[in-house]
Amino acid sequence: MEDKIALTATGINKYFYQPERFQVLVDINFSVKRGEFLSLTGKSGSGKSTLLYILSTMDTDYDGKLTINDEVLTGQSQNQLAAFRNAHIGFVFQFHYLLPEFSVLDNVMLPALKLGSKSKAEIEEKAYQNLKLLGLQDQALKLSSKLSGGQQQRVAIARALINEPSIIMGDEPTGNLDSKNTQIVFDIFRQLAAERGQTIIAVTHDEDFAKNSDRVIELADGRIISKN
Amino acid sequence: MAATNLKIARVHLTSRLRQTIVALLGVTFGISMYVFMNSFMSGVNDMQNVLAFTTLAHIHIYNDGPADNTNLVKKVYPANTAINIRNAKVIQYTEGIKNTAAILDLVRKQPEVLEITPQVNINAFFRNGGNKLNGTLSGVDVEKENKLFNTSQYMISGQWNNLQYRPDGIIIGADLAHDLSLNVDDNVNILTSDGVSRNYKLIGIFQTNIKSVDKAKAYINITAARQLMNKNQEYVTDLQVNIADFEKTAPVVQRIAPVIPYKVESWQMSNQQLEAGSKLRNAIAMAVSLTILLVAGFGIYNIMNMTINEKIREIAILKAMGFSSGDVTEIFLTQAIVIGVIGGLVGMLIGFIIADIVNHIPFKIGPLNNLPMGYHVQDYVMAFMFGLITTLVAGYLPARKASKIDPVEIIRG
Repeated sequence: MEDKIALTATGINKYFYQPERFQVLVDINFSVKRGEFLSLTGKSGSGKSTLLYILSTMDTDYDGKLTINDEVLTGQSQNQLAAFRNAHIGFVFQFHYLLPEFSVLDNVMLPALKLGSKSKAEIEEKAYQNLKLLGLQDQALKLSSKLSGGQQQRVAIARALINEPSIIMGDEPTGNLDSKNTQIVFDIFRQLAAERGQTIIAVTHDEDFAKNSDRVIELADGRIISKN
Repeated sequence: MAATNLKIARVHLTSRLRQTIVALLGVTFGISMYVFMNSFMSGVNDMQNVLAFTTLAHIHIYNDGPADNTNLVKKVYPANTAINIRNAKVIQYTEGIKNTAAILDLVRKQPEVLEITPQVNINAFFRNGGNKLNGTLSGVDVEKENKLFNTSQYMISGQWNNLQYRPDGIIIGADLAHDLSLNVDDNVNILTSDGVSRNYKLIGIFQTNIKSVDKAKAYINITAARQLMNKNQEYVTDLQVNIADFEKTAPVVQRIAPVIPYKVESWQMSNQQLEAGSKLRNAIAMAVSLTILLVAGFGIYNIMNMTINEKIREIAILKAMGFSSGDVTEIFLTQAIVIGVIGGLVGMLIGFIIADIVNHIPFKIGPLNNLPMGYHVQDYVMAFMFGLITTLVAGYLPARKASKIDPVEIIRG
């Protein structure tokens, strides 16, 4: 399992056309192993977030080839990709993006209800487990908008985990958090990668966060400058 | 998965109750107005039909009189021949309908025909002492006349059926009786245009509340009428036909007119103003209520658009988590449909209540006591359908917009 490849990006090029044609990503090639905790770093405008959204399959406007779990995703339709994301990719964003009118539990359950491979009782059970893992089991029935920022971000992580995705992607997942919550989130990621073999790909500005991950890919001006 | 979409739709609707209610009220108002307007208009139309058909049959067969024969010469000589004819007169032409039995037979065989009745209509003077009034004396088949026109229900004194056994009996309109100072059992003298004069016994008075009828019409037995005119037992001036659906006279007229050598006229032909009136009222009702529904539709469109703009980030995250465009459309379209269905049901109920209240407003003119109102299932069905279509269109456009949201654009800001 250690050496299996979770994700491969081959020859990724991406252009912005507004306000003028500009190449954001230049010939990006790399792959990520299963269970690896990878940080994408770089200065603002280096293209790291753009790259993450291409890897996440949400952005389809690029040249090159993207393979996740041996499935070529380049060229698939939006609805196929949506179904793929639902089953295989979990997201954590800088802002939590919870649905404010739903309870914490409902928020966590939504992706699994959408996937529909388990019964509602099983999903609920699983959601409680995830909330417990993140220390939120007492908040399950509250409206998500009533929680603090750190709690909301942890709910978002619980939601990202509900379908047991093989890859978890984070766009500045700790960007809005204080150091204590940052540490909690980081530890959870570590644990997921180590214990469950889930691949973590996180874009981050946080030096400590990056330093402590398995591997750091640094971008500058749309090119990979270090893959260490 | 469908259940999940429904749940999201439900939460959207219930968590923003005020906006949902505003949208609901829009639809409710539109539909209730549609129901009310159409009920009112169809009430007026029904009323008018009832009034019209108290004296009017669906199809009328009569002898149109002779053609214009004042210039027979031009048929023979070329058009530019100088002709001078003065004081042309028709010497003789056939009055009334000949061969009545065969025509009755033919018309009765038409499947749509409910009833046909013969009449002998005579222009006559009604005289009582010094009072002399002009009017129409109708010789009728007592039983059949009643079947066609429900004449017996307009009797205010005397029995309609007695006319059958009383060759000397006459039933006259209330205003005519009043103008002639007549009461039941009085004698009234009839003078025909041929100069025949005869006395009849007043055995009944009717009141249709249509002035022109009550003032100038009287009934006698058809046999008595033939006797008065000195005609044989086949003599008939008019044949009145009722069919099952009074709107559908055209095919019957088309079928029988070519084989009957007399004028065959549907009520629509002889009363085009009635037809025009009812069509125009329907058009007005339709225009007003569709306008209201359109406004309600814009209301829904606005509210849905606002909802989607407010929830644009949530939509983006749903799509990121794997909800397809179809799911997003479903979520918002469901909301529109729920608003449409609930608004429609409540609207039909309120429309019915408004119609019922207006129906009880007193309106005492002519034969009316209160404002007329029609309660037709099809008005309600149409209102519901239109409401649903409006909300579907008004909801679909924003829903499609929502489904096209690009999550990357929204999440990256």
